[in-house]
Amino acid sequence: MTPLLSVRDLHVTYAGGVPAVRGVSLDLEAGETLGLAGESGSGKTTLGHALLRLLPRGTAVTGEVLLDGEDVLAMKPGRLRAVRWTDLAIVFQGALHSLNPVQRIGAQIGEAIELHEPRLGRGEVRGRVAELLDLVGIPDRRAEDYPHQLSGGQRQRVLIALALACKPRLLIADEPTTALDVMVQAQVLRLLDQLQRELGLAVLFITHDLSTLASVCRRLAVMYAGRIVEEGPSHDVFAAPAHPYTQALAAAFPVIGDPAFRMNPSGLPGDPPDPRDLPGGCPFHPRCPKALAECPTLDVELWPAGPDRLAACCLVLPGVRSA
Amino acid sequence: MTPLLELRGLEVGFRNRHGELARAVDGVDLTVDHGEVLALVGESGCGKTTLARTIVGLERPDAGEVRFEGEPIGRSARALRAYRRRVQMVFQDPSGALNPRQTIYEAVAEGVRIQGAEGSEEQLVAEALRRAGLRPPERFYPLYPYEVSGGQRQRVVIAGAMVVKPSLLVADEPVSSLDASVRGEILHLMLRLVHETGVSILVVTHDLGLAWNIADRVAVMYLGRIVEQGTTEELLGAPRHPYTAALLSVVPEAARLEPQILTGETPDPARIPAGCRFHPRCPLYASGEAARLGIDERCRTVDPALAPVRDSGQRAACHATAVTAAVAG
Repeated sequence: MTPLLSVRDLHVTYAGGVPAVRGVSLDLEAGETLGLAGESGSGKTTLGHALLRLLPRGTAVTGEVLLDGEDVLAMKPGRLRAVRWTDLAIVFQGALHSLNPVQRIGAQIGEAIELHEPRLGRGEVRGRVAELLDLVGIPDRRAEDYPHQLSGGQRQRVLIALALACKPRLLIADEPTTALDVMVQAQVLRLLDQLQRELGLAVLFITHDLSTLASVCRRLAVMYAGRIVEEGPSHDVFAAPAHPYTQALAAAFPVIGDPAFRMNPSGLPGDPPDPRDLPGGCPFHPRCPKALAECPTLDVELWPAGPDRLAACCLVLPGVRSA
Repeated sequence: MTPLLELRGLEVGFRNRHGELARAVDGVDLTVDHGEVLALVGESGCGKTTLARTIVGLERPDAGEVRFEGEPIGRSARALRAYRRRVQMVFQDPSGALNPRQTIYEAVAEGVRIQGAEGSEEQLVAEALRRAGLRPPERFYPLYPYEVSGGQRQRVVIAGAMVVKPSLLVADEPVSSLDASVRGEILHLMLRLVHETGVSILVVTHDLGLAWNIADRVAVMYLGRIVEQGTTEELLGAPRHPYTAALLSVVPEAARLEPQILTGETPDPARIPAGCRFHPRCPLYASGEAARLGIDERCRTVDPALAPVRDSGQRAACHATAVTAAVAG
């Protein structure tokens, strides 16, 4: 079976030669959820934007982004416009500012529908807007409101409604809950989970918050310095990370009630690497607590690390692990 | 023993754009002891930042008082200056808290110049940077904020606060703008400062995991009021207020609990509900549990005080807890 989305050896280099994504491959089946975790500068947002070809001019993108086997990167502008929103939609990071402040929210959602289905009548569009608002839990009388009249959580719901306006099959959610309070975050996550089940949506969930991903996604991929360094079923990855970076990241989210974390915050020395100045060999080696003598020179690719799991670390290589 | 900081009946209000009084801090009693880390936890709009700003003297209370080492803080410029040397604030965003045109040396030395600490300026700056983990300090003197990483910037901000040897650090979301892998290192630094210098820390945060990581005690704030406080182990182990229980249940790291997702968002502080301010969102009230206990009338009409909970060192402002001494987690 062809996966809904298949990314093959994607490289993204910004103008000026900054490599943001350095060879990423991943598959997403219809109706599946995949979490993409990473810190600032890891390339996760760039990857999400590359899938929709939303990157600035002058950015070099190579590899393939196959949507039902058709390469998004090779699509003509007309075809791309049709695919965006109807097959592939995105909820942006910093979404609270991405609504038009001087247009009523119902009109903003209606506009997206009309653009893709110009033959719909006014009443039908209005009906669809009401349905969408209902779907995300906003009373349809709020369609007449402007964004500033809504709370942060409601605006995030509107953006999700907007992304769903043309019934996409794949939703890319880039830090959809980062600016929200914990309780509102839980509301939005539950909504996304419910929509994913009801509509059979595939969701690519991008965030720095590994613990959130582990709770909402079936599979998890962890990015560092423009590459995926670990991938697998999210529960397994979070509970027993194979890559030292994932281990450190998982430890950075304390388990409340677990004495191991009490009065014992855990982090990593150093900072995420600057994509303009990546270390040689394994890019994680300068911060790695388990680095071996060969790590500064040996750049490891993803390697099987257990059932249905991959990790890019020489510690999982046979022979090294037993040593 | 006299606590280092004591808030008594503190109230701070603002006029919103409709001219209504928003009671951001609505009657708060709280103490911070010497060498203690207290986490003040709550969602945005609960008044926790206003409370922090009032403690450091950036807002004036409408009623109640802030007492420091047993004395009310003075209102004269001189008294405030002396007070601010003892109480330093660390803001959320280190990039915004540092002047981009000032070198790191200047940023840290500024506190010494304004507050007039004792000793040679250069030695004080070097010691503060070293303590904050920026070693060797001389290497950082000539750098500008943009030349160091986000984690290092927050270390500079902390060094700038610690350089005048305060007794209390008020840190407002000190790590929320930092990457996860860097966050632990900064929290580690804060704990080390407490051990090495005896400073007390009031850390304002929405993050219960952070409290578990570094706080001795936790106070939970909802709509301008402390609704529960206790030691971190007690409060996060067995919350006695339904709001705390709900907050704890939605933390992904505490996934053992059945999530209780409250509907809506924190109400407007200009329209604080009558009775218990939490009752319109309270799961115990909504599920009929309050009615079963025969207290639903009280929930609607009587504002519960923060009272000691039976068989624990905790205090909670909940009619149900007063009856049963337990809230299902």
